[in-house]
Amino acid sequence: MGEKLTIDSTLKCDVLVIGAGGAGLRAAAQISEQRPETKIIALTKVVSPQKSHTTTAQGGMAAVDPKDPEDRPIFHMFDTWKGSDCSADQNVIKKVCETGWEEVVWLERHGMHFSRTEEGRIAKRPFGGHMLNFGEKKSFRACYEATRTGKGIMDTVWDECLKYGVDFIGQCIATELLFEGNRCIGAIIFRYPEGKFLVILAKATIVATGGKTRMYQVSTNCRGNTGDGLVLALNAGLPVMDLEAVQFHPTGIIGPGILASEALRGEGGILRNKDEEPFMERYAPSAKDLAPRDLISRSIITEIREGRGIFNEDHNAQHVWLDLRHLPKEVHEKKIQEIESFFRRFVGVNPEKELCPVTPTAHYQMGGIPTNEFGEVQIDTQTIVPGLFACGEAAAASLHGLNRLGTNSLLELITIGKVTGERVIEYLKDAKDPETLPSNAGHIIFDQFSTYLNSQGNEKYAQIRDTLRNFMMEKVGIFRTEKFLLEAIESLKALKERAMHIPIGTKSLKTNQDLWQIWELNNLITVSMVIAQGALARKESRGAHFREDYPERSNEFNYHTLISMPEFNKVAFGKRPIDMSLFEAKGEHFELFDYIERKY
Amino acid sequence: MSKSYNITLEINRYDPDTQLSWIQTYQIEVGGILRFVDVLRKINDEQDPTLAWASSCEHAQCGSCGIIVNGKPLLACELLVKDAIEQFDTYIFRLRPLTIAPVLRDLVVDLEKAYDKVHEALPYIIKPAPLPPEGDEYRISQERLETYIEATQCINCFCCATACISSHRNFLGPNVTMANIVRLMDPRETAKKERMDILYREDGVYRCHTSRACSFVCPKEIDVSHFLALGKGGKF
Repeated sequence: MGEKLTIDSTLKCDVLVIGAGGAGLRAAAQISEQRPETKIIALTKVVSPQKSHTTTAQGGMAAVDPKDPEDRPIFHMFDTWKGSDCSADQNVIKKVCETGWEEVVWLERHGMHFSRTEEGRIAKRPFGGHMLNFGEKKSFRACYEATRTGKGIMDTVWDECLKYGVDFIGQCIATELLFEGNRCIGAIIFRYPEGKFLVILAKATIVATGGKTRMYQVSTNCRGNTGDGLVLALNAGLPVMDLEAVQFHPTGIIGPGILASEALRGEGGILRNKDEEPFMERYAPSAKDLAPRDLISRSIITEIREGRGIFNEDHNAQHVWLDLRHLPKEVHEKKIQEIESFFRRFVGVNPEKELCPVTPTAHYQMGGIPTNEFGEVQIDTQTIVPGLFACGEAAAASLHGLNRLGTNSLLELITIGKVTGERVIEYLKDAKDPETLPSNAGHIIFDQFSTYLNSQGNEKYAQIRDTLRNFMMEKVGIFRTEKFLLEAIESLKALKERAMHIPIGTKSLKTNQDLWQIWELNNLITVSMVIAQGALARKESRGAHFREDYPERSNEFNYHTLISMPEFNKVAFGKRPIDMSLFEAKGEHFELFDYIERKY
Repeated sequence: MSKSYNITLEINRYDPDTQLSWIQTYQIEVGGILRFVDVLRKINDEQDPTLAWASSCEHAQCGSCGIIVNGKPLLACELLVKDAIEQFDTYIFRLRPLTIAPVLRDLVVDLEKAYDKVHEALPYIIKPAPLPPEGDEYRISQERLETYIEATQCINCFCCATACISSHRNFLGPNVTMANIVRLMDPRETAKKERMDILYREDGVYRCHTSRACSFVCPKEIDVSHFLALGKGGKF
């Protein structure tokens, strides 16, 4: 113990990509294709980009095919605007919806194995919230690769980066962004296997660290989705945007949290409480089990809160039942066989004979590092941070506002990933090599790691993690109130302090799982604080953010929440206006892009 | 509610600093529907925070949590305790790291090194067929796609490579060989010679002894040996 922490070596490159998932590597692929001489280093927390969270996305990627005689990009724009509960940015919506198909074709031409129609073209299927003629009837807009569209996309962008010789560094975390004046010039990283710190100097840096919902007890996210990229930005004094917007999927399989898709209810699956009552009849008498995601999630939590949930001891969590027993044999065997198999595989339940345990699961965070429509990181609407870019779930451009439509996230990764790449190429034209390494580089992380490694006390990592995940679910989850949120903020302060007193088992820096997890836990606590503060300030209900004490949307809050937190709980608020350029252009159907009611 | 079980895990430990290895025994009371990743987490939480193991998605879609349980390579995220008891007919489980890459610590192996071989298969399209008209996609019939789509489900968890009797040293490995064969079957790829050279190189497909272990252990239930057989015949 007492090993002195130092920077082991320094690498140089043109572009540093922090987070080699779908968005980061689409950006890298764009740069490689257009400017093959660019030296790119892409970092990933996992062993290979192929193991990124992008790979777990199932359903599809929305894009309007110009050959479709019925569908038009403006319908997709409307669906996205309405789905966001009027809080997405219309310049971004327009760009993404208009370029979606080009990107589908790009993926196909680069080797993605899309499912096909009988004519051998890319097949498409309907998905929740995607409609023709401004909400009239279902559109066929989601391009897919069986039930593993995310994997198809991930493999394709990774392949393309391999082809162009992008350097991957796996099993590492970026711990600090480096600046020369106000310009970002790279990052300090820590390698898990050898336990060494490296400096990577880059002309341009892209943060694409992905999702961040691991602070919730039940989550579809990967083990490593701990908001690391957001903490990088916050520690650099930069704001983050709309973090209060966390999307829950109503039916996660208890334990692993994996999604049990809407398709199960689409085929006739019924939600039941502990008395086996089909309770959705009470909450949504006509739509019942096919009501929107947020309404079903709130109904399930209400049942649980009022004592009609079921407690699972093995996973220490409450749930309700999804009943599929009455469905015809051919539905079980042909239509839902793959999704159903998750129950057999992960909780040992046979859905043909037994009730399936489901509970709302934290799925996606709409908010992130604020960027303009080119992926350039913003301090405010007028000011960008030179050399720093962000895309994917780590960023908020914002395509989703406070609520995201299914299949729009994969679309965002690829479209915004590409434009970010293009913008980086522009930036590289005049960008000079970084000259000096800031003299205090690394001091913050060295102090942090030394504190963890030498910490005395009797706190336990697992207890703090579980406490965090329980109260975030209960108080900063599907239902929020001022009282809950204030309690959560107090609890977070206490946990932050407690997390400093976890005696660490493994003392060496090499493959130190203890150290790695304590660092992640601190990131989760930091991001949770911003979520809670944002939720407290937004005294309305909009999209995925639901305040029991303010159950209606309010025009007063027609803006994006900006929060910076250079020190824990030292919060400064800002606002970013919602871009209304489609409405303001007064073009065809502009009136539909006003603050309309979100009703399905 | 499932029953709970008292199980014993005998786990290979390795400390990279002292380079000592040993077998450590843990006894733990667990619910039957917990998965082996949950059990390992429970050991970390309740008994020993220093035991290192790997996972990421824990949905059997990333292939980061491969380990060997009682001799069988598998994904720890999809092995339920009650199924393991039934399958192996025991309450004692021997957990070892995969054998295809150096051990970093305990059950964690350096899969980054194993991935070097995947890169050698050039999984991308090397030389694409002439482009379809502007804004249009290639046409691939459902029948054609059906012949190789199964192989594209591979997540490179290296369970097959671990089970493979041809060893990882002088064979590229079943998963890597299959990645090359996928592109040989993909109508969009025209670099056939380059791919055939990879297929039949010294550590190529003929190193396969046709034990079919790969097909039996594949967590994604891909019939890997079928694709290797196509490769051996050189006809796709």
